[in-house]
Amino acid sequence: MKILPLSMKNLRRKPGRTAVLVLLTAFLAMAVFGGSVVVLSLRTGLRNLEARLGADIILVPSEAQSKVSFQNMFLQGTTGAFYMDASVADKAMEVPGVEKTAPQTFLASLKADCCSIRIQVIGIDQNRDFTVQPWIARSLTGQLGDMDVAVGCEVEAGIGEIIRIYEQRCRVVARLEPTGTGLDTAVYCSMQTMDTLLAAAEAKGISHKISSGDDSVVSAVYVKVKDGYDIDTVNTALTGKLRKVTAVRTRSMITGVSDSLAGISRTVSVLIGVIWLLAFIILLLAYILSIKERSREFAVLRMIGASAKMLGRLTLFESGICGCIGGLAGTGAAAVGALSFSALIGSSLGLPYLLPDIGTILLLAAGTVLLTAAVSALASAFAAWRLSRIHPGTALREGN
Amino acid sequence: MVKKQVIPGCITLVLSLVTAIGSTTFLGPCVHEDGSVGACHWAGRALLGLGLLLAVLSLLAVLLRRARGGLYLSIAVTCILGMLTPGTLISLCKMSSMHCRAVMQPAMILLFAAAGTAAVCGAAASMRKEKGRV
Repeated sequence: MKILPLSMKNLRRKPGRTAVLVLLTAFLAMAVFGGSVVVLSLRTGLRNLEARLGADIILVPSEAQSKVSFQNMFLQGTTGAFYMDASVADKAMEVPGVEKTAPQTFLASLKADCCSIRIQVIGIDQNRDFTVQPWIARSLTGQLGDMDVAVGCEVEAGIGEIIRIYEQRCRVVARLEPTGTGLDTAVYCSMQTMDTLLAAAEAKGISHKISSGDDSVVSAVYVKVKDGYDIDTVNTALTGKLRKVTAVRTRSMITGVSDSLAGISRTVSVLIGVIWLLAFIILLLAYILSIKERSREFAVLRMIGASAKMLGRLTLFESGICGCIGGLAGTGAAAVGALSFSALIGSSLGLPYLLPDIGTILLLAAGTVLLTAAVSALASAFAAWRLSRIHPGTALREGN
Repeated sequence: MVKKQVIPGCITLVLSLVTAIGSTTFLGPCVHEDGSVGACHWAGRALLGLGLLLAVLSLLAVLLRRARGGLYLSIAVTCILGMLTPGTLISLCKMSSMHCRAVMQPAMILLFAAAGTAAVCGAAASMRKEKGRV
């Protein structure tokens, strides 16, 4: 007697029962795959944010902390425009332990022609920058020219395309790699281009706190600490030396994000655990009831020569097939949801969110399907063991 | 037997209504701060039109027994058009975190894909029945 064709026939013969078992296992697979993709994406986002920031300390005007949280600007892409004296960059260099400083100027555009929201324009001093330039260099050899911009990966403009900011035509010359944060929605340009954009804003009657040609103010200064110096000590020294300036340690910013991530990971893990436990109990009960209902069918099979071991294998095959189909369906549904709406999930969480590479996702999907099939088979194993202990004669008499 | 041909029509009818209502509400294009309209606004309008067209075709597929196969095929073709509308045929905002790209585009593609699959199943069931008659 061939087990596989018989299992398939049994499953087809009772479509309602099969559908319930498949749905249960699909639910299990969805919970595991969806939850794992979210947690992995948060971890990937955090790793990339850490790599992108590059600096040890960021100096911002004190008002930046109250006006628009500096962290929100990075993580959620909230536009911010705050300014401080440009001499901060030179003064910071006088502090022992500071290796280099890179000033940046922020400008919240009114509305670019591309989008319905404001975008953050960031002007970088190309001679001093060490944070954005290495990333721009991955897709652009040389420096940003006049009216050239590098765009974050979420700005859907290809290299060579023109985007208009304050009615000014800016040529996209580089696209930056994703970070899963607000940095992905920013547009980077040289200080010269920033001047032109400010002049264009003034011509349109839009007033910013800085005016074109005013190079005496900057928005943030990125600080790299020399090797061998304690970053906290340098941070304290910078706070003491510079007035009306807040020194933010990038590590503390990332630690805050990391703590939120750990909290979310814990919650997701507990939820997955609870769902698995409940689904396992339901599957176990479903198989026990199903075997009880089919006791006469199994007794007849025993009488025509099927061994108890063979019936056990039949049950395991049936549950394994249900687990595989449910696992594939659940993983597929979760993949469609998690991949299609990743931008929405990322913005809802407000944390760095970046999908892992396709290889990892495929591996995770395969693992989920295998795990679901294994758990489904495990749930039926108990029922199969009980079945092997019942004498066919007794089963037939009980059935009558 | 009749059920097999009518159920896909009911599914596409529900999905097309979700598409039509969604394209003007929770699955709609971006809302501009200054009240102006962008490219994604027109994609939303086109999706509303396609959703309504799909609803009419689905209703006809449920009611008209004789033209069912052809109607299902036209629903499937309309679904392909619907999937291509946001982003390919009509451009959207240029930032992937925007509502039109993060919500409207994936949701509409999924809705039209589901409706298209149901329509293909309906067409297959209708054609099988026609073959049986011959």
